[in-house]
Amino acid sequence: MQTLLQLIAILAVILGTVFSVLGVLGFIRLPDVYTRLHATGKVSIFGVVLLLLATVMLTPLGFGKGLVLIALLVIGGPATSHAIGSAAHRIGIPMKRAIRDDLGALEQNQAGE
Amino acid sequence: MSQILSVVLNIALAVHVALIAVCVWRVWRGENVIDRLIGADLVGTLMLAVLVLLALILVNATYIDVATGLAALGFVSTIALAKYIADQQMF
Amino acid sequence: MHYIRTILILLVIYLALTGNLQPSNIVLGALVAAVATLLLRPQPSRLDWRRLPAATWALIRYIAILAVDVIESGITVARIVLDPKLPIRPGIVAIPSGCSSELGTALSAHALSVTPGELVIGIDDYGVLYTHCLDATHSAEYAAQAQAMRRDLLSKIFV
Repeated sequence: MQTLLQLIAILAVILGTVFSVLGVLGFIRLPDVYTRLHATGKVSIFGVVLLLLATVMLTPLGFGKGLVLIALLVIGGPATSHAIGSAAHRIGIPMKRAIRDDLGALEQNQAGE
Repeated sequence: MSQILSVVLNIALAVHVALIAVCVWRVWRGENVIDRLIGADLVGTLMLAVLVLLALILVNATYIDVATGLAALGFVSTIALAKYIADQQMF
Repeated sequence: MHYIRTILILLVIYLALTGNLQPSNIVLGALVAAVATLLLRPQPSRLDWRRLPAATWALIRYIAILAVDVIESGITVARIVLDPKLPIRPGIVAIPSGCSSELGTALSAHALSVTPGELVIGIDDYGVLYTHCLDATHSAEYAAQAQAMRRDLLSKIFV
């Protein structure tokens, strides 16, 4: 039983580390602010939650604390991404390689009326 | 099995610290202010991961409490900074 | 009634954080939760006990669908990042949420944002979600029907 839990924990730690590396790689490679937000949201949703799952399995005292922290991250992560993206759109940071922009078209219509 | 776990945890800790260094470099050389804000937010998230890994290595659940406090503070501070950048005022 | 519900939720979180179930700790947690609830002043909301099993079942299905969505799109974004040509077609797509209540719109926006590859940038007065997508042509087709399914489940959970 103990060995099985440790095996699952090892897999979770390796997967979480891989997703953290992928998130930072995307943060460097992707072209503009909005696409980078997708990559960094993944670090907090996948990377830290998988590490916390390993913690929940291995340390007996960290069970409730780990679950509360997972809930906090899953509820708070999208709110942070939305706040940054909304601020970027408000101060007018352009999108690169965009193929459509419904929100920008709406604001241009309102300005024209 | 626990030896393998210890090795994996230490490697993961080293990788995360290296990722923090990369993110700090991005904050230093960002393209614009939102880019730097994303970098700062990412440093906070990776610091959270380092605290969770420390809790696993030292087998001490107190580090999870520290991580919870850091997560709550980072959430509020990132949203406050984003609102400050968008509106040019805090309240 | 709604005060007791808030106290119970806060007590469960307190017990999960402290991690011991001695009677003295439960009493202390109940006191802390009561003081916090008095400071918060929660608003009353309608809760029908006969609807509770159906709402719980809908909530479990909602969380399961959300988890599958998150894992699937996480793998998609990982593949995009690892691809040397970076095959992205970004764009902002307008998705009508179709929910009448503000809570339903907010939860739809959360469900859209928590899946990597889609990020809600703005919400207008009619509940239209302006979503930034990594792959705008693909998302514009699938988002409408995914949103319809989500709206049905949410309307079962909240009236």
